Amino acid sequence: MTLLLGIVMLLAAISALGVVLSRQTLYSALSLVVTLSMVAVIFLLLNAQFLFAVQIIIYAGAVMVLFVFIIALLNPEAEDRPAFDWRSWIGIAAVAGITILVFVTARNGITYNDGGLRGAQIGRVSDPYHTFSFPPDAVNAAGNVQTVAGQLFTTFILPFEITSLLLLVAAIGAVYLTRREHSGS
Amino acid sequence: MLTTDVFPYLLGLSAFMFSLGAAGVLIRRNPLVVFMCIELMLNAGNVALVAYGRFLNSQEGQIFAFMVIVVAAAEVVVGLAIMTTIFRLGRKLDVDDLSELNE
Repeated sequence: MTLLLGIVMLLAAISALGVVLSRQTLYSALSLVVTLSMVAVIFLLLNAQFLFAVQIIIYAGAVMVLFVFIIALLNPEAEDRPAFDWRSWIGIAAVAGITILVFVTARNGITYNDGGLRGAQIGRVSDPYHTFSFPPDAVNAAGNVQTVAGQLFTTFILPFEITSLLLLVAAIGAVYLTRREHSGS
Repeated sequence: MLTTDVFPYLLGLSAFMFSLGAAGVLIRRNPLVVFMCIELMLNAGNVALVAYGRFLNSQEGQIFAFMVIVVAAAEVVVGLAIMTTIFRLGRKLDVDDLSELNE
């Protein structure tokens, strides 16, 4: 399982490079499909089955179809790649530096307790949320969708309701932006 | 069963994808690719959220990742609508050329 996770993370990183470095827009979109699918597999391996399905349906399905549709409609020409000069090294150094910094910090700066079950010692262990712990085995026994929905419709009901407003505003905005101007009416 | 040893690698992947997306937003000139890089950054955030949720024995990470996915979908709808409007105005799809709001 760890080996599978390693392979999937490697593929996600490589295809993420493809998104940024491809000259053709369509190749960027196809690389992004691979990245999103690999992120979905990471979700599955991290015990988030519901998010796996949502990621596949919404991202790899709906959003990327919309992207490919718009690319086919607008047909943007390939960018001429900027010359590889000293500024490229700034970008490479920034990406590598941030990655290594976060990795080293996570590797050395976080202490684990309870055999790693409780995870990172960020808050106090005796905080009230400790009693609302969701260990993976208990979540799998109750069902991932059930536990996510149980929290979504109780604790996080207000963000969930605001989401519906956001989607309504987005739909109205898209209709408003793409409407055709009728002169003289 | 995954152990906590993989957690730093997941955060490293998240940081890699996020910084790569930020670099892409800065260096690419095609607004479609800029949008894809924003999607990359949002997904990097989702990976970190779900990884934290998994190793903190909590479901909140998954709930927040779900919200991020919804916001990203709404953002794509509006962004691509703006792009079709730009195309209909007969403008070239290049973020360096689009400076109407600046004038």
